[in-house]
Amino acid sequence: MSRSVRKLILPGTIAALIVATVLLAPVLPLQDVRGMDIPNRFAGPSAGHWLGQDDFGRDVLSRLIWGGRASLFIAVGSAIFAAIIGTALGLLGGYFRGAVELVTVRAAEIILCLPPLLLALLVVTILGAGTWPLVLALTILYTPNYARVVYAATQQVRGLDFVTAQRAMGTHPMTILVRTILPNVLPPLLVQMSLVVASAMVIESGLSFLGLGVVPPTPSWGLMIRSARGAMEVAPLLLVWPSLALAGTILTFNLLCDRLQSALDPRAVTAGGALWLRPRSAAAKKRITSLEAEADAPLLEIRDMSIAVRDMELVRRVSLTVRPGETVALVGESGSGKTLTGLAMTGLLPDTLRVTGGTALYTTRAGKAVDLAKLDEEGIRTLRGEEVSMVFQDAAAALNPVLRIGEQVAEAIRAHHEVEGEALQTRVVELLRQVGIPDPEQRARAYPHELSGGQRQRAMIAVAVANNPRLLIADEPTTALDPTIQAQILQLFAQLKCDTPGMGMIFVTHDLAVVAEIADRVTVMYAGEVVEEGPVAEVFERPRHPYTAALIASVPEGGAARLTAIPGSVPSPRQMPRGCRFAPRCGFATERCSAHPPPAEHPAPGRVTRCFHWETVT
Amino acid sequence: MLRYIAARSLVALFLVWIVVSVVFLLLHLIPGDPAELLLSQSNVAADPQAVAALREQMGLNAPLWQQYIDHMTGVLTGDLGGSFRDGAPVIEQIALRLPRTLEVILAASLIATGIGVPLGTYAAIRADGKADAVISFFASASLSTPVFVVGSVVILIFAQKLQWLPAGGFTPFSDDPLEHLQLLLLPACTVALSLLAVITRMSRASVLEVLQRDYVRTARAKGLKRNPILRRHVVRNALIPVLTVLGLEMGTLIGGTVLVEFVFNWPGLSGYLVAAVDARDYPEVVGIVMTISVLFVFLNLVVDVVNALLDPRISLVR
Repeated sequence: MSRSVRKLILPGTIAALIVATVLLAPVLPLQDVRGMDIPNRFAGPSAGHWLGQDDFGRDVLSRLIWGGRASLFIAVGSAIFAAIIGTALGLLGGYFRGAVELVTVRAAEIILCLPPLLLALLVVTILGAGTWPLVLALTILYTPNYARVVYAATQQVRGLDFVTAQRAMGTHPMTILVRTILPNVLPPLLVQMSLVVASAMVIESGLSFLGLGVVPPTPSWGLMIRSARGAMEVAPLLLVWPSLALAGTILTFNLLCDRLQSALDPRAVTAGGALWLRPRSAAAKKRITSLEAEADAPLLEIRDMSIAVRDMELVRRVSLTVRPGETVALVGESGSGKTLTGLAMTGLLPDTLRVTGGTALYTTRAGKAVDLAKLDEEGIRTLRGEEVSMVFQDAAAALNPVLRIGEQVAEAIRAHHEVEGEALQTRVVELLRQVGIPDPEQRARAYPHELSGGQRQRAMIAVAVANNPRLLIADEPTTALDPTIQAQILQLFAQLKCDTPGMGMIFVTHDLAVVAEIADRVTVMYAGEVVEEGPVAEVFERPRHPYTAALIASVPEGGAARLTAIPGSVPSPRQMPRGCRFAPRCGFATERCSAHPPPAEHPAPGRVTRCFHWETVT
Repeated sequence: MLRYIAARSLVALFLVWIVVSVVFLLLHLIPGDPAELLLSQSNVAADPQAVAALREQMGLNAPLWQQYIDHMTGVLTGDLGGSFRDGAPVIEQIALRLPRTLEVILAASLIATGIGVPLGTYAAIRADGKADAVISFFASASLSTPVFVVGSVVILIFAQKLQWLPAGGFTPFSDDPLEHLQLLLLPACTVALSLLAVITRMSRASVLEVLQRDYVRTARAKGLKRNPILRRHVVRNALIPVLTVLGLEMGTLIGGTVLVEFVFNWPGLSGYLVAAVDARDYPEVVGIVMTISVLFVFLNLVVDVVNALLDPRISLVR
């Protein structure tokens, strides 16, 4: 039983208990509900009257249960009537559409234009107080709710193949509606039902309280509260009991509705917050004291880093080195773990993922060595944007829609430097100009949606380089753009590299043409592992892993004699091959490949491949 | 911007016209003669001749379309007619009572938003934690407690037991500002409680949604601290749907404060409407319903404009 279904048990049981109690009211050993006992009016709880006696000396417990019977009868009754009428209207409107929709669903929706209590009041004042006018008023009130819910659900089901098939076979529309569509719209109907019962009780009790609902001497919770108000000074408890009963019952049905909803539609439940907001949560890591870095230490040295979701490894023992001024391209198909590797370097992995092993030693401006994989949120925050920066793929989503471009760039500077006013503004405009945004003074005041896709990506880059970071991680920064714009953005990156000597860059991409253009070294990832690594020119000239070779062969402008697609698809992290992960798709694979994972080999200085057959690949 | 508002106002006026016409027709179609109701005392039937004379005087003998046109032309010239009951101009009564109802709603909205947004945000930050469970439960509980129950219990506690505040009544602000505010406090808080629940739940859901957005990750990538991220990026974006809901809720409240006004003896517009419907006082009912629907529609317009100011993506200029 899933968690959401288990959560249904509590409100479900209480609701059943409440309904059973009021149903059994005639056979329960209760005092006479109308039996007056004037001498004992306002008497407190006693053995004969557990909850005391009211202003006429009547037994409060008995009136509470009978009152609940009246309230629930009206609420459930009108919920059922409204459900029948509303479902019929919704089914017809949703199935036939057109004119039928107009006279059923749309007509019913007019009722929703008036405040509900006002409408009920109008009906009841016109028809007079009483149980049945109340049922009628509430039925009118809630019919459109059902009609709408059923209408929407019917429209969805109507388009499904099995309904189309039945229509094609000439089944009578009524038969389709009742036998096929109705069972499918039952879940949303059920949710609506519990909601309406709760909401009808609010209005019923309110009208009874005003003296426009249930007529005395019939007990009702609204009436009990009304009369208890008069005796508040003498017997405050008389007010408390019906209030508790009323609020408790409504709460039960509301909870039932909420939980039915999440049980029936798990997608509606939002993901649980964000761990980074909780500094002392279990995910926060111990702060690591930083050491002096060695004089010739690279900018970033990832060694055997693994990333996992729960017990499933998505990235396994990845190693990667970036030297100052060097651009490393991280290449692979979707799902190869290249983006995750990039995100891990800024501590921005999604909450469900964790770095489970390895180190990522980064040399700071001050010459300290810190392990990016082990820093806590605050520790890595001081590095983000200042030392390690990130350019995201989809600039339209990555920029805040309600803040001006200039504000978003300024914010990046102010996160690490005390610059204000004129100086800050000048710096922002200068940055926007540097990334090639025309008319930067004006553009600084624009909102992201007012810029073109290319300009948005430029603004995104301006945000990333605002503090002259030493390591820039670009996560597929050109993927979402038009080819001509892609070329311009690549040029911009090349320009930035020239302008800021010493800045290292990790360029995540699946596009080998881009790699050739921008990178010094390339790291090829497959299924969460690094399969090949080396200087771009050498790797392209002579790939030492079948996967790299296949990638190059699949690129139109890769210079390959003919275009070849790689057969098969990336294995799922749940079913990783025991040996080489590429073996099932590899033309060179032998028995050895599927038995053992190949070790890292060094075909030449500065080159790595993970293949038993590297010598025969090319 | 102005053109957009003008276009929206036209649609709004059309809606108001529909609502007023429907109410007018409905009142004439249902049984119950205002003249008879006015003249009969308790269970003694009224003198038929007197009723006929009064009907003539009220203009009820004219054909329905004639009455409708007369009434509508009156409305257009700002004359809502005189009450059947005492002949006083309806517009005066509305002008007197509407501000009182609006006052309660506005005060309640301020209280509910001021507390609900931070509370909902906090619940979202601590999603699935203990604080979240407590806040969510209280939101559900106050949403489930009818307003007259809250009002009665509040009176029992603060007026009867603690004797901090008066149980109900009304003093014009010009007579005694302090007493006016004292009397306002309990009804406003009562209305605020259920509104608070709605706002808290909405804020929580909205913040949770925004936290998943890419631009929040960008804000983190800049190295911003937690609070600036929450303030500038999360809450600001999360507020947009919350304000929409607040506007809609306020619209519903304009016609729905009957119970609160009854519980606290607050002489507002809703209570006036109940009395008017009871007496079949057509001019009064039509006048009040029109006022409520104008406000309801106007509020929706304000919500749209405010949304546009908060969210530059919504362009009001075509």
